[in-house]
Amino acid sequence: MTNILEIKDLCVEVEGQEILHDLDLVIADGEVHALLGPNGSGKTTLMMAIVGYPEYETTKGRILFNGDDIIELDITERARLGIGVSQQRPPTIAGVKLQQVLDYAVANAPQRAQEIDELVSTFQMEPFLERDINAGLSGGEIKRSELFQLLATRPRFVMMDEPDSGVDLEAMNVIGEMTNELLARNHAIRPTERRAGLIITHTGHILDYVHADRAHVMLDGYIGCSGNPRIILDQIRKYGYQECVRCELRRHRR
Amino acid sequence: MENSTNLRPVADIDLSQFATAPNTQRPVLISPDQVELDDAEVMASVGVHVKGEDRSGTYILRDFHPLYAQARTDGLELLPIADALKEYDWLRERYYWRAVPADLDRYTAQCASAPEPQGYFIRVRKGTKVPFPVQACLYIARSDIAQTVHNVVILEEDAELHLITGCATRTDVSSAAHLGVSEHYVGRSASLTSSMVHSWGPEVEVRPRSGTIVEAGGTFVSNYVSLRPARSIQSNPRTWLNGENASAKYLTIILGSQGSTIDTGGDVYLNGENSSAELAHRAVCTGGRIYQRGLLVGNAPGCRAHVDCAGMILDAGEDGFIEAVPGLRSLHPEARMSHEASIGKIAPEQVAYLQSRGMEEREAVSLIIRGFLDADIEGLSPELDARIAEIAELAGHGER
Ligand SMILES: Nc1ncnc2c1ncn2[C@@H]1O[C@H](COP(=O)(O)OP(=O)(O)OP(=O)(O)O)[C@@H](O)[C@H]1O
Ligand SMILES: [Mg+2]
Repeated sequence: MTNILEIKDLCVEVEGQEILHDLDLVIADGEVHALLGPNGSGKTTLMMAIVGYPEYETTKGRILFNGDDIIELDITERARLGIGVSQQRPPTIAGVKLQQVLDYAVANAPQRAQEIDELVSTFQMEPFLERDINAGLSGGEIKRSELFQLLATRPRFVMMDEPDSGVDLEAMNVIGEMTNELLARNHAIRPTERRAGLIITHTGHILDYVHADRAHVMLDGYIGCSGNPRIILDQIRKYGYQECVRCELRRHRR
Repeated sequence: MENSTNLRPVADIDLSQFATAPNTQRPVLISPDQVELDDAEVMASVGVHVKGEDRSGTYILRDFHPLYAQARTDGLELLPIADALKEYDWLRERYYWRAVPADLDRYTAQCASAPEPQGYFIRVRKGTKVPFPVQACLYIARSDIAQTVHNVVILEEDAELHLITGCATRTDVSSAAHLGVSEHYVGRSASLTSSMVHSWGPEVEVRPRSGTIVEAGGTFVSNYVSLRPARSIQSNPRTWLNGENASAKYLTIILGSQGSTIDTGGDVYLNGENSSAELAHRAVCTGGRIYQRGLLVGNAPGCRAHVDCAGMILDAGEDGFIEAVPGLRSLHPEARMSHEASIGKIAPEQVAYLQSRGMEEREAVSLIIRGFLDADIEGLSPELDARIAEIAELAGHGER
């Protein structure tokens, strides 16, 4: 199987300060990986760098998407290749309605008009369509709105930054369903139709809904360890990230 | 960039350099399909569609001569002002030069001295709700003329009208002057929406002078859009909310360009109990100077007034700027008055966000500008969208 994402020796600077240091990460097509790590370790930075935000400047390394280096591509070009993102703290845009973003998606894929309509009613998005993007939405509502925009475009590779933070139990069910829909985990019998993804989570709640193939722990701008999501999550729950740091140190000493 | 704070915003026009109306007027009323195609296209760009579909009436003035004046619905009168003055004595006695004084300034004086006044007279009879907008075009097809216009609009009790006035110069006209007087009388519980769209050649000088009197329960909505600004536009429409619960709402949208100075304001006198006024300015500066003013004068118990100026700077170049001067004057302790103003650039994270949904940068910029202007003006969307797309295109090439 090909790799949907292959990151090699990646260094990323924000405002002149290096945040990611020689980071390596590989995600095979059709796989979903979880990204864990303490606050400020660089998880969001990694995602924004993959999306192509200009203020997250790649100073070294490569990002291959489906085998092609995308470092030189702008955000639009990357999005059109199929990189989709649900942000942790998306901006509000006064006067621009969620409906307008959906209209744009439909204009570019008219064959999906009916499907998008159905998604609106399945996920009860009607009340949000005429509201300005993210304006005055609650934390949980922002997550729904973000995931919904991804559903409207169905990207090949889906990145989600803490879709489960600040979401109540009931809303969590909806977020879980949306994520499964997005990753085509519900009804895709053929593995080729499955979407690949990278999910940042602190609580791991989202992993109760979506099976993750692998988890990575980010520590201070690099991937400290990778492995079975359940085991890693259990370790972190029991011992905290301190233990990850110690484990890393032991590894380096050897 | 100049550092002087007391820039003289708009210089006086030297009227002697422009040709004025001839003494003898030829009646040149023609049918709309005789309007030349080039002219019709320009008119369409300011919201006036010569075929008149979905319009309840049409008036077209070219240079010094009316081409066409027709009302298509009962209860609506639409005449060249000169004809109306001949027909109705009361017009001169009660309305003509009553909301805008003839001696207000040199431009109104110039209008008053025209051998025969040009412009439209509109009257909507009591209780008549005009079904479609009425459109008027004030069009300049010859260079170096000073077009003077005097319009009077009267809405009787309970009447309703949406008036679209498009003002433009033919594409090959760069220099001219447009001096326009507009008087609006909004009767009891009547509702007038006036949408004015300007699209001028780069060296045109524009001085609209307008006055509106609103009686009890009446509503006046004024939308002003300057798509392609002239060398200078200076206007300060005045509105008197004289009756109880009278209201006025101004939305001024300026899309500036290099080399132009645009100074728009709006004085509203809230004299009626519980009257209310809202003044919103939106400007996108891609060069040139833009002044956003407004003065709301609260003078009655329960009156409410709000001014809101917002500016977006896009590639304004060396000397482009927006200056916001929202004004409030309270003459009554129970007047509730507030203002806000903000000027900034387009937020890069908003553009990036929409790009991450697959939009091109210029598409994202268009959508954000459209949202910023927040203009939902009936009958004008396509023209406004077309111009916003152009500005976004410019902005997309520049540095943000
Ligand atoms: N725009 C910025 N300007 C300055 N520093 C930044 C900026 N963006 C990120 N950083 C810094 O980079 C580091 C990594 O931040 P990042 O948001 O990637 O962490 P995170 O792992 O997503 O944390 P959290 O779990 O709290 O969301 C932090 O120290 C942060 O302060
Ligand atoms: Mg984060």
